[in-house]
Amino acid sequence: MSALALLGAFGTLLVAGYGVLALLVRQKTRLTLTEQIAFSWLLGIGVVSLLLWIFGLFVQGVLLPGLVSIICLSLGFVGWRQTVPLSLGRRGPKPFEILLGIIVVIEIASVFYLSFVHTLGWDGLLNWEIKARYAFANGGIIPATYFSDSGRAFSHPEYPLAIPFTELWLYFWLGQADQFCAKTIFPAFYVVGIFLLVALGRRLAGRTWIGLLVAAFLFFVPQITVEVGSAIAGYTDFPLSVFYLATIGYLFCAAKPKNDALFRLYAACLALLPWVKRDGVILWTVAAACGVFVILATRKSYRSLLAFFPGLLIICGWRFYLNAMHAPQGSDFLPVNLQTFGSHLYRIFPLLSALLEEFHDLRIWSLFWFVIAVGISYLLRRMRDPRVLVLLTALIVPIALYLSIYVFSSWPNYLDHVGLSISRLLMHVTPVGFLITMLAVSRRSVKNRARVHECGVVTCVIAGSERTPGVELA
Amino acid sequence: MTCRFSYGRIAHVMLWCGLAVASLSVSIPKIYSGVTEFPLRPSGPLHTSDSYLKFATGVSGLSKNLISIFQSTNASKRVIIFTRKDDTFSCGLGMTIAYLASPHLVRVFEINGTHPDNELSKMNPHEVAAVVFCRTNRPAWLPAGKVFGSGLEVVSMTEKVRR
Repeated sequence: MSALALLGAFGTLLVAGYGVLALLVRQKTRLTLTEQIAFSWLLGIGVVSLLLWIFGLFVQGVLLPGLVSIICLSLGFVGWRQTVPLSLGRRGPKPFEILLGIIVVIEIASVFYLSFVHTLGWDGLLNWEIKARYAFANGGIIPATYFSDSGRAFSHPEYPLAIPFTELWLYFWLGQADQFCAKTIFPAFYVVGIFLLVALGRRLAGRTWIGLLVAAFLFFVPQITVEVGSAIAGYTDFPLSVFYLATIGYLFCAAKPKNDALFRLYAACLALLPWVKRDGVILWTVAAACGVFVILATRKSYRSLLAFFPGLLIICGWRFYLNAMHAPQGSDFLPVNLQTFGSHLYRIFPLLSALLEEFHDLRIWSLFWFVIAVGISYLLRRMRDPRVLVLLTALIVPIALYLSIYVFSSWPNYLDHVGLSISRLLMHVTPVGFLITMLAVSRRSVKNRARVHECGVVTCVIAGSERTPGVELA
Repeated sequence: MTCRFSYGRIAHVMLWCGLAVASLSVSIPKIYSGVTEFPLRPSGPLHTSDSYLKFATGVSGLSKNLISIFQSTNASKRVIIFTRKDDTFSCGLGMTIAYLASPHLVRVFEINGTHPDNELSKMNPHEVAAVVFCRTNRPAWLPAGKVFGSGLEVVSMTEKVRR
């Protein structure tokens, strides 16, 4: 019975997401099946959680999931009418691709297994699932008393609701709050991350096997699979990293003339970043700045700037809601101002040292950061390409910003604060690091245009090589 | 042919193969131990909070008992939780109790030492639904509550207790 209910919950999520995808793509761009599933999931999470929150302001009880279900099915109907064109391969998979595919499937099975063996992590239960449980017990809306209850301030009532309300959606279908079933969301995000890496591998590098190979290595970053706060722990860091991967990956691909559909996908994922986690505001800022750069560099219409409006609306709407609920502000950081910055400037070198130490921690990161450093050295020669610049900015600037916020840490020992959370923050940019690796590995392929045309999809590699130097420098 | 087998290409392939092998050799032991560390455990709607409580008190399936105790008390009154400042187990236990105590408002007191007499004596018993002691000692003047394993005691504030 639970399995059927979960199927219903996931099904409606995917149907709603597919409807939104169809509206965004408008039958103009071909997407692979993996891309369609991945975006259906990401957009479905966004739509369902936002609808539950917004409609929860007006209705509660049975009416709330009923209303949201009707909208999900209506969106699905739109999707059915405007089916997104499927990108079909001209050839069957090569034996090497089949082998890599099998490895990736085994890894996905292992992640599901790990997810069910382990319980929800500390924050997974007490920061995130708690909101879903309380909302479920209160007819679908978080009780106002939760926000003002100082005794539960430890659970960060100010954190946004994308993941808790996805769990709530599962609870509505299950008919009870269930910590075990709530975990099913997280390996699904891993699958979506893998799908996106494979799809982006094909778009960026022009070859499916590069996407598969790099996706297979995601499993071998311990922070992603087995460490505290990993993809299986019920924390929102990995889901946020998948949203960020979609945002930056499709911005990279959208930096091609007349590729507005991919730019709209970028905009949709961008808008959801601050809705997944508070730190998403930092990623939103970086990704939006990258978006502005792409708009200017590729001379897109200024109407493209409207892409930033939904994200701003979510940020402001959530802030307004928290103020209305008298939610406490987080107490982990001091007020961000020049005076505090000046008086805590001495922290910068210890912070840098802590970051380097983190990069070197093989138990958590294996050789990931070393590989990324090699990848970056490959890309330095291609810095004139605005898309490469975007990718490097999207990797490096969030790390710098994350590190700088510890200057304002209010913890008695700010290095303890760093030690406890930096690995999870670095996880946000990890999949983007894999995109850099893809580009570096495929270095040779870029020179050979004939070999990067694959499966009827015009890849970003070709788009890059077709670009005139004038446009590249713009 | 020159392009396909240039020295640069060979170096490129060898570099990335080397990095891949080195990454795998570092990661595999860690991942393997992570995958094989725990066997499959029984699932349930409260499996995470049960695990936390078992870890802290040694008692299995405790979440359900605690929820029913809190549900039997007046929902408009607070649950008071005492934890020890210097004890992470106690703090973690307190937060898990706060999680389960919904829909009650909660107040968590982190105290120095193990005796919350001072804090407790200042409270109005008519505003309290239950008092929970997480690895702290119940004052002798407060009637005994339900004890769960080591370090957890819940005193429901019935009318009798309030008097």
